[in-house]
Amino acid sequence: MVSNRESRGGRPFAFFRAGARVGAEGAERPILAFEDVYKFFGKDQPALRGLNLTIERGEFVFLTGPSGAGKSTLLKLVYRELTVDSGRILFCGRDIARLTDRSIPFLRRNLGIVFQDFKVVPHWTVFENVAIALEILELPARLVRSRVGEALERVGLSGRGDERVGTLSGGEQQRVAVARAIVSEPALLLADEPTGNLDPTLAVDVLTLFEEIHQTGTTVLFATHDHGLIERRDHRILSLEQGRVYDVRRGLASWSSSGVHAVREARRAAG
Amino acid sequence: MSIDSLISRAMRGFREELRLYVVAVTSLAVAFLCLGAALLALQNLGAVAERWGKSGHITVYLRDGLEPAEITRLAAVLEGLREVDHVRVVSSEEARAEFLARTELGEEVAELGAEVFPASIEVGIVSGVTVEAIEKLAARIGALEGVSDVESYRGWFEQLASLLSAGKVGATVIAVLVGFCVFAVVGNTVRLSIARRRREIEVMKLCGATHGFVRGPFIVEGIVQGLLASALAVAALAAAFFALRAELNSAFSIFVGTEAVFLGPGLLALLVFSGAFIGATSSTLSLRRYLEI
Repeated sequence: MVSNRESRGGRPFAFFRAGARVGAEGAERPILAFEDVYKFFGKDQPALRGLNLTIERGEFVFLTGPSGAGKSTLLKLVYRELTVDSGRILFCGRDIARLTDRSIPFLRRNLGIVFQDFKVVPHWTVFENVAIALEILELPARLVRSRVGEALERVGLSGRGDERVGTLSGGEQQRVAVARAIVSEPALLLADEPTGNLDPTLAVDVLTLFEEIHQTGTTVLFATHDHGLIERRDHRILSLEQGRVYDVRRGLASWSSSGVHAVREARRAAG
Repeated sequence: MSIDSLISRAMRGFREELRLYVVAVTSLAVAFLCLGAALLALQNLGAVAERWGKSGHITVYLRDGLEPAEITRLAAVLEGLREVDHVRVVSSEEARAEFLARTELGEEVAELGAEVFPASIEVGIVSGVTVEAIEKLAARIGALEGVSDVESYRGWFEQLASLLSAGKVGATVIAVLVGFCVFAVVGNTVRLSIARRRREIEVMKLCGATHGFVRGPFIVEGIVQGLLASALAVAALAAAFFALRAELNSAFSIFVGTEAVFLGPGLLALLVFSGAFIGATSSTLSLRRYLEI
């Protein structure tokens, strides 16, 4: 486990940085584990039924399944927008279902979350949208500037920090959301249908961006129902249906996940 | 949470919602102006009630046939009393002349003789003597030699006191109602501004912001809005009051016996800081539903 100033300050949840070296005990522990998790939205509406799955540190996992399969519910349980009805969800070995409300913000500082609807603030600038994740961590302004600059460079928006997000295209707005998700170097990146509102070419671009981020050591859990997007990637694919994992397989191992090749091929496939 | 970050985020909120804030502060200022006016009315009614309640007057009617020397002696006795400020002897002729001057009955009463109007001594009471004390004094005077009857005007004072008391209750009710209105206006204005910025709050919460981090700038904005609005209202009320004071005094001071006074510094400070308090409270309450993400 990597603890930094957050844990030293007596915060209720330690801060785990992506790609950081972990101790022997931490290295053996999966970053995320679901143990017999149930979630109901009403008496006869189970969203998850006895879900068991494990995601290892540094893994890139696709979560797929039809609408209503429980993908978003699963992610919401991880960032504690929802609470499990029974079972355990262990993040870095800690049961997040047992966290107090006061601890939830500190859990979320370990997560980068990207949504289908981007969840950016349109009247803020690109810089402000990304910087907010670091301002919450109370980093000094100088460090915020440099790290936001780096994040924007990684998502291909270098030099566009002063533009209002509302004036950007959908793909660019999603890049801003990705930059915000990665700027604090979280241990786990959650993506809830991040390509759902994008055309196929942009979808491939965004997926490639996630893969590049993954290569720096970030664990990625990427929910999508777009099979065309994920089948040609060499990542584990978890298929959910009716609240259960019904299939676990890998995408095509022969395809490079290094980004550039995948983008070219996907673009060709998209026509 | 750093103060710099708090202030800069609050300033950003002001910049982005400037138009809304101008509208909000104006609405709030009008509400506070109503509250200030109600308090001003309450304060002046209180001053009038106090002034009238403590400015007494007794008429001592003299027995018929009392010699001038006896009247002079009685007047001297009355003037020597602790509660008495001044005395004025009114002879039968003077009483008749005053009556005729005031009445419009004309020639029918002009034929009445002076003997119909008893001589009297008008007794002015020193300021601050209560109605009850005047009543006791009237009883004491009534027992003096040469006194026929004493009119203490208790009934009149009681009616006046009940009228003023009703006025005070009315003004208090208005002040309380306006106070609720101010709270509702501030709350709704802040709620509107927060609703417009719910995406911002959602983003902060999802990035791991604590409730305090999210609340901070909104509370600062609520305080500034409340302060600005109440200060504007006080300024407008003061401007209106001092512009109209001379006319108000010339029109009413003859009847009420006291000059109009403005709100004291304590009440002014209370009004301004209540603006800040209401702004902060409204922000906190309005934010609650948006923090549950």
